[in-house]
Amino acid sequence: MCVTYYMANGSEATTELFENLKLELRRGCLTLAVLTQLRTERYGYTLRKALADDGLEIDEGTLYPLLRRLESQGLLVSQWREEDKRNKRFYRLSEQGEKILEQLLAEWQRINASLGKILQEA
Amino acid sequence: MSKAKDPRELIDRYLQAVRFWLPKSRKQEELIAELGEDLRSQVEEKEAEISRAINDAEVSEILKRCGAPMMVASRLGPKQHLIGPTLFPIYLFVLKMVLLYIMLPVFLFIVGPVNLASAGGNWGVAIAHTLGNLWSGLFTAAAVITLVFAILERTQVFAEINCKWDPSTLPPLEKQESKTSSVQSVCDLVFGCFGLLWLLLVPTYPFLIFGPAAGTLQVGSIWHSFYWPIVLLSAMNVARAAIALARPQWDWFPKFGQLISTALTLILLRFLLDAAGVGSGVHWHPFVSLADNLKDSSPYVKVLAVVNAAILLGLVGAWIGLCIAAPIQTWEFMSYLRKRSSGLHQIATLRVL
Repeated sequence: MCVTYYMANGSEATTELFENLKLELRRGCLTLAVLTQLRTERYGYTLRKALADDGLEIDEGTLYPLLRRLESQGLLVSQWREEDKRNKRFYRLSEQGEKILEQLLAEWQRINASLGKILQEA
Repeated sequence: MSKAKDPRELIDRYLQAVRFWLPKSRKQEELIAELGEDLRSQVEEKEAEISRAINDAEVSEILKRCGAPMMVASRLGPKQHLIGPTLFPIYLFVLKMVLLYIMLPVFLFIVGPVNLASAGGNWGVAIAHTLGNLWSGLFTAAAVITLVFAILERTQVFAEINCKWDPSTLPPLEKQESKTSSVQSVCDLVFGCFGLLWLLLVPTYPFLIFGPAAGTLQVGSIWHSFYWPIVLLSAMNVARAAIALARPQWDWFPKFGQLISTALTLILLRFLLDAAGVGSGVHWHPFVSLADNLKDSSPYVKVLAVVNAAILLGLVGAWIGLCIAAPIQTWEFMSYLRKRSSGLHQIATLRVL
């Protein structure tokens, strides 16, 4: 019984640890993905769909605060506009956002190459 | 049970519930509008997929996927905390230092005895008063510390300290605390066993305690009540030494055992001195008396008085010494626990890193 309890708790702890680490890993990647997708103007739902179609699911509670943060950092600009008789907030990359995105993508390539090398060696 | 006529009404009700948990601001309205737009887009897409109007159950499914209103609001809203992650370890450290290592000993060794004296020796009243004072003291101290740290968090004072700190002000390396050696444990055990054996033999062979004066002196009646508690205490000390030797990995045990032994000895001495009539003005019970056949022999009466006075002085000296040792040992044990928990915390942090 004790062993079962320990194993159940151990498995729960491992799952929680994995989820936390996955969250950390995803955080930076999501920012990069959102910035890249917003080279083209989109509103929240279409952005979410585009990301999901490319295999990167993101929920409303994560996306909208992220968009707000990126906008407050000056990387995005937004505009409320009516489309299909509904008010929607459209986002796109700002000039500063484009520059930062270039740098981030270069950094991403470098990290990716390093990681690939490390994994090959391992 | 009310039922929504238009399934879309559920979305408005959902948004209203999310709005309730968000701080009131213009941003809140924008967030709600964006979330509403997202949900309506999902409904539209679903309707396009099923080629008919969406029903309550399908809207519910979308909302369930989005999450409970309170959870969604917590993710959407600004991240708020009273004490942030930078200050929190320092806050925890200060809280522990003040509550455990300052207030607790102060109440235990100062407020408690003062309450006992003012309650005229009534232990029950003194303990109740001390616990009441301790509770309100701990609560107030914790509240004040939390308030101070919340202000520091708001004013970002620590961010400035972080910029100004100088590595040369770091404290010197702490010396590795010496552990109880196995030689010391063996000595403790051997002498403890001899002591216990001697104590057990004393009633049968008074020579072992009085030497050549065994025919002249005999132990006072007071020892009859205290003999077995003393034997038990000695046996406990032997067991303590044996455990320390058998389980050297229990590095907490020698300090803890020593503290318990001191506390028990103090209690025993206190009762012994009380029973002897010290300070109470009641009839004096000598520690040693003359042998029955020498009761009226005046030359021995003086010797007896000197022996009793010497024992009394020895016991009072031991009582005072232990009163000084007890807080020191308590402090040492708590410092050890503090270091141990901070060490474990560091190991856990390293593992996480």
